[in-house]
Amino acid sequence: MSQTSEVHAGDEGPGARRRLAVVQPAPGGRRLVQRWGIVGATIGALGAFTYSLLLPWWHFWLFAPQYPKGLELVVSLTGVRGDVAEVNELNHYIGMKHLDQAAIFERHIAFWAVAVLGAEVLVLMLSQGRRLYALSATLAATFPIGFVADSWYWLYRFGHELDPHAAVHIKAFTPQLFGTGKIGQFETFASPELGFLLAAAGVVIIAVASLLRARVCRSCARAGRCGAVCPSLLVGPGAGRDEAGKAA
Amino acid sequence: MNTRIAVRALAGIAVVIGTVAAASCTPPKPQRGADLGASQSIKELMQKRSLTEADVQAALETYVPGGKHDEYMIFASGGQSGQVLAIGVPSMRLLKVIGVFTPEPWQGYGYGGEGDKVLEGATQSGHKLTWADVHHPALSEMAGDYDGKYLFVNDKANARVAVIDLADFVTKQIVANPLIAADHGATFVTPNTDYVIETSQYPAPLGRDYAPIEQYKEKYRGLVTFWRFDRALGRIDPSKSWAIELPPYTQDLADAGKLDSDGFAFINSFNTEMATGGDLEGKPPIESGASQNDMDYLHVINWKLAEQLVAQGKTTTIKGMRVLPLQTAAESGVIQLIGEPKSPHGCDVTPDGKEIIVGGKLDTHDTVYNFAKIKGLIDAKRYDGKDAYGIPILAFKDSIRGQIEVGLGPLHSVFDDKGNVYTSIFLDSAVTKWSLKDLKVLDKIPVHYNIGHILAAEGDTVSPDGKYVVAMDKMSIDRFASVGPLYPQNFQLLDVSGDKMRMIFDAPIGIGEPHYAQMIKMDKLHPIKVYPPGTNPYLGKQDPNAVQSGKERIERHGDVVDVYMTAIRSHFTPDRIEVEEGDTVNLHITSLEQAEDQTHGFTVDMYNVNLSLEPGKHENVSFKADVAGVFPFYCTEFCSALHLEMTGYMLVRPKGTPAPSASALASAAPSASAQKK
Repeated sequence: MSQTSEVHAGDEGPGARRRLAVVQPAPGGRRLVQRWGIVGATIGALGAFTYSLLLPWWHFWLFAPQYPKGLELVVSLTGVRGDVAEVNELNHYIGMKHLDQAAIFERHIAFWAVAVLGAEVLVLMLSQGRRLYALSATLAATFPIGFVADSWYWLYRFGHELDPHAAVHIKAFTPQLFGTGKIGQFETFASPELGFLLAAAGVVIIAVASLLRARVCRSCARAGRCGAVCPSLLVGPGAGRDEAGKAA
Repeated sequence: MNTRIAVRALAGIAVVIGTVAAASCTPPKPQRGADLGASQSIKELMQKRSLTEADVQAALETYVPGGKHDEYMIFASGGQSGQVLAIGVPSMRLLKVIGVFTPEPWQGYGYGGEGDKVLEGATQSGHKLTWADVHHPALSEMAGDYDGKYLFVNDKANARVAVIDLADFVTKQIVANPLIAADHGATFVTPNTDYVIETSQYPAPLGRDYAPIEQYKEKYRGLVTFWRFDRALGRIDPSKSWAIELPPYTQDLADAGKLDSDGFAFINSFNTEMATGGDLEGKPPIESGASQNDMDYLHVINWKLAEQLVAQGKTTTIKGMRVLPLQTAAESGVIQLIGEPKSPHGCDVTPDGKEIIVGGKLDTHDTVYNFAKIKGLIDAKRYDGKDAYGIPILAFKDSIRGQIEVGLGPLHSVFDDKGNVYTSIFLDSAVTKWSLKDLKVLDKIPVHYNIGHILAAEGDTVSPDGKYVVAMDKMSIDRFASVGPLYPQNFQLLDVSGDKMRMIFDAPIGIGEPHYAQMIKMDKLHPIKVYPPGTNPYLGKQDPNAVQSGKERIERHGDVVDVYMTAIRSHFTPDRIEVEEGDTVNLHITSLEQAEDQTHGFTVDMYNVNLSLEPGKHENVSFKADVAGVFPFYCTEFCSALHLEMTGYMLVRPKGTPAPSASALASAAPSASAQKK
């Protein structure tokens, strides 16, 4: 790709010139495709987030001699499935709380949290102007990272808030969130599941879309003077036309 | 702030998350135990243990390592134990003793729980019975093939039939025959298990009445009962069952026709002499009196015709049971007789339903009766006379295809998938294999000793599997280590897959003398692993008193105390029950467990109570707390590390003692204020 020799009116100053050096003389149509591509990718990623609500996010296995098939806990954003009753039964010996007492608030708001987060990411992707490119990716990343952090927090609490009157006294501990661990006669194994992978993939997509967004903005006719909000809302009226018009 | 760097950093984080996530994999299953190196060669082992190559081959053919399962299951009569045995094949290991007619404490059967009701239903003339002479198990069938759903078994001594549900291997019903005193030709099912057939053995006045022995011929009778099985309920329905009066010959074994002979039942007999003994008075004992005739009678019963006559009301009712009178049965063609040599035993319909094989017992032959010939004679009404009761007799020679000499004392016959018959030969202590097609003996193998019944893999269905035959030997003499003068029985497993039979295992049976057994392919059995929460197995659904977690309570209604209790590792809730002497205590206990094999038990001191609380099971037990005192209760099945702590107290206050109030209890305890002083 060749460098542009275009000089836009009002694009004076050293900052503007430096930016000029990387602006590409793409035709307006291509820029619009890029812009719609960003929107499409964002919506796709948000779709992945939403779909992940229906999928398991994390998987815990527990193996002990008397459980030849092992015990499983499958964690999703809205609850825990699997051998919940049996794990609760075993946990009561060490005074651990019932699993249904974990992340009650988080599980209740999961759906709306995803909805609000998704809406914010989409709005930001469309409307953000100068220097806020990364905000949508940051917000999106809070979704899986927040899940991991919250899970660790609850594992920590469960392992540390043990009933002192329980039959078996053990030292406070934090159950393993990732990989192998050992509690009593149990070997444990934990790993992310498809829901988490999908959400992580969504974050990657949004991050890439944000990078692309930065590129598009740099080549925008209003680059550098657009303010905090994109006047054309990325793909709204007039989007991509300015530079295309000048180019023609 | 450099936006580009921020964006890239974020993208980088996202990629890292993605990568970490993508690196996740299925968990490694922990490896337990490693293969031991072959420390000794097989040859050295053989030498050391004095084993022949045949021994080693047999061992390899029957050894089932832990964790692997047997290919077949035998349901064997437990004989005098009153129980049924479940045994794996080819390992011949005992898997379970199912409590049937005899209380079985491990299963909590007959020790205060709901199973008591099944056993109480098994009284004969109001007499409580706690044993049985279990004889012939019969697996339920559909279209003549085992379906693995139910098992029926009879008690010869007291003329009873039990229904065992193979969903949980629990006896659900026992029916006592109100008309007869002992049965033997039981249990045999019709091809779709519409009926369970029970035939009397020793003739007696019907309805268990009295008549002098001198009136044997006039007043004593045999009987075949067709118990109607309600598959939806999984129970015999006595109100829809009926019976056919038989002459006072001693009816013996029976079998239901199938395919070509469906609709017929075949019952053999001995003592057509109608000997009644009197040896103290100098008359011949029954054993010789009953063995004078060279021929006895095979009874050919058209039960579908009988069913129609019963529906038409051509019955008399005795003790609540509809009975088709002998004269009606004889005149209408329901019953025919054919000669059979001599004091026979075993009456087995071939898999195709075309022939019936009767073992001679006191004759060296198996006789092959041909159903088409029999049917032809019946249809043409070509009778060879009538017996003293007016029953038409069919000519022996016109009814049979042939006879085959199989040895001394032939009893029972079973079948394989290649058209071969295996007959147990009692006096010769042998099994004879012969070809049904050309009636030729193919092989004979000694067994140890005195074989009674014989069974084959699905050997009495329309599609036998072959492969395994088991000789059920009455004596073991020198086959096992001595355990005193009462010797174990011996189940000998034969491999019959080749031309020659091979003996591959001796299994001692140390609980009773099994008679018959059946062998079913393991994949036809689908027992449940745990009960749905609150299940009363005897109701087949949730018990009305089932207790949920958090709903435990003690309710007092006058002098009746209802305790709604739960059991889960490792506690009972409540673990303290306080009643007054003379109160009736009703315990309603639900196991809250749902984990496989996590069974609890329950006993309370002195009340002869033991319950088995399998996961999800509910039990009700009731007793009168008639002795004041302190009665610990506890879990009787080692359930967990805190099993010994799974306990509680039932406190029975002496009559008239007021219940201690809460404050009295508090002051009775060493109080904190007292310590302060």
